[in-house]
Amino acid sequence: MNRRTFVYTTAVFGLAALAGCGNSQSGSGSGSGDGKAKVKLALNWVPEPEFGGFYAAREDGSFAKHNLDVEILPGGAGVPVVQMVAGGQADFGISGADEILTARARGANVVGVFAIYQRAPLAIMARGDRIQSMADVFASGTVALEPGLAYSLFLKKKYGFDKVKIVPYDGGVARFLAENDYAQQCFVTSEPIAVKKKGASPKVFLVADEGFNPYQGVVIVSQATWQSKAELVKRFVLASREGWQKYLDDPSKANGVMAKLNTAMDAETFAEAAKAQKDLISTAETAQKGLGAMTKDRWETIAKQLVELGVVEKAPNVDEAFAVL
Amino acid sequence: MRDAPSSLANSLFLRTARSAASKTLPPFVALVVFLLTWEIGVRWLGVAAYLLPPPSAILSAAKRDAINLLMGAWTTAKTALFGFALSGVLGVLAAVILSSARVIERAFYPYTVFLQTVPIVAIAPILAVWFGPGFLAVSVCAFIVSVFPVIANTVTGLRSVDPALKDLFRLYGASRWASLVKLTLPSALPNIVTGLRIAGGLSVIGTLVGELFAGFSEGAPGLGIVVQTAAKQLKTDLLFAAVFSATFLGLLLFGVVNAVGSRVLGRWHPSEKLDQSEIES
Repeated sequence: MNRRTFVYTTAVFGLAALAGCGNSQSGSGSGSGDGKAKVKLALNWVPEPEFGGFYAAREDGSFAKHNLDVEILPGGAGVPVVQMVAGGQADFGISGADEILTARARGANVVGVFAIYQRAPLAIMARGDRIQSMADVFASGTVALEPGLAYSLFLKKKYGFDKVKIVPYDGGVARFLAENDYAQQCFVTSEPIAVKKKGASPKVFLVADEGFNPYQGVVIVSQATWQSKAELVKRFVLASREGWQKYLDDPSKANGVMAKLNTAMDAETFAEAAKAQKDLISTAETAQKGLGAMTKDRWETIAKQLVELGVVEKAPNVDEAFAVL
Repeated sequence: MRDAPSSLANSLFLRTARSAASKTLPPFVALVVFLLTWEIGVRWLGVAAYLLPPPSAILSAAKRDAINLLMGAWTTAKTALFGFALSGVLGVLAAVILSSARVIERAFYPYTVFLQTVPIVAIAPILAVWFGPGFLAVSVCAFIVSVFPVIANTVTGLRSVDPALKDLFRLYGASRWASLVKLTLPSALPNIVTGLRIAGGLSVIGTLVGELFAGFSEGAPGLGIVVQTAAKQLKTDLLFAAVFSATFLGLLLFGVVNAVGSRVLGRWHPSEKLDQSEIES
């Protein structure tokens, strides 16, 4: 998901506006006419295959089967999902394990309940013969990274940024295509496919392979919702799991629905992205435990890494940060 | 009789002091009341600090990250100042050319409005491709955002020269250059200063936005990057501290333009004479 970065340029200004209404509640779990619980799911980007399972759950009736009426709020530049969920403007949201722990350290208590991506789709893409590994990316040239991002801090610690020029990631791929010695952060399901369509052949290196692998695409709820409406959360997770299974089996229907909402992406790209993310979502572990599984070990690893990187001062208690359903 | 001059000086001094106090006291009191309301309100309502931190938390974040903020402010100030200077020089020049002949003004003036409507967020990445990321690309962002008010105000000023004075210059056979330098530009000065006042604040905004897309994030990153990093890591207190630093830069630039403006205009222009009469009355 390129441009998740964009979020923060505008989030900055949106935050102030949001600040005033932190206590308002979004009738979470309130019944609708047909007895279904009406809930809101806030995405952190526009409808794309990385949210495919939720649209599948809506279209194929998994949400309805579990007595849920889910309104999906597409995100985009400037949507602070964690704050929305912690403040009650949305019941459910999509975030990452690193962001959840950081938010908890600052007092925004959200809980992760379902992890779409078992392997983080966060990556660096580069081009040119010189580049054979992640180490080569940081040997010279220019690298576009979002400032403050946990995984860019991780890469800085591992490889050092003294031999490269670090510039802010602008959300696009224009510079990548225009310049030779230019690398940038990306989502494996997004930018690499976009530049391939333009005729470039990017080399893509997952940050997960370097040792930083926080769960991504994590469904979050506020601590309050988790404590008072655990049953509702459970239904949402079960429905999402079914939806994601359907999407992995056949993404075409949900892709068709999302393509109408996100006209910037063509059908072919939708299909390719859905294919590219499959192995990140469905792993040996999820075959055993079910889609969306999470382990305490991995949460603890991320917590430890965040402290080492200086993002948070003290490791948050991971037992409260996630719940396996 | 002997002490008359000193008492006159005394009362003049008192009046000046009183007038200075009457100018600075109200905004100061307003600020204190505003900050107190904020501090107490946030604590009383129990607003989470990650949504809206109290001023005291912002202050301690500013102390904790003072070096980051100062270096960021310095980078941003340099860039904004350069963009502002470009706006001032090129904006006035463009306005002079535009108003030199009706046909030129009719042909090109409408297009200067484009400058005001350029979506800087979209164009900044392209500027980074053209100029390379860093100082120059970000300055150009600041320039694009801030040049239009300079052009628009200067054109208005150049147009509204007293026709009688124009006739006088023509009567004496003054050259175009002489009427420009001795008549048109001086009488447009108040408008130019107004344009620059607006451009000052805008150039800081343009710099912050430019930094997000076309600045360096290592070395001494500007306030825009500090804001972005703070947002990403949910350090809302640091975010506000950086926003206030940027606001302060804008105010500083505004203040400098004002001070220079009243110094240049003060002696003769009615728009600045008002203060004088306040003191005298």
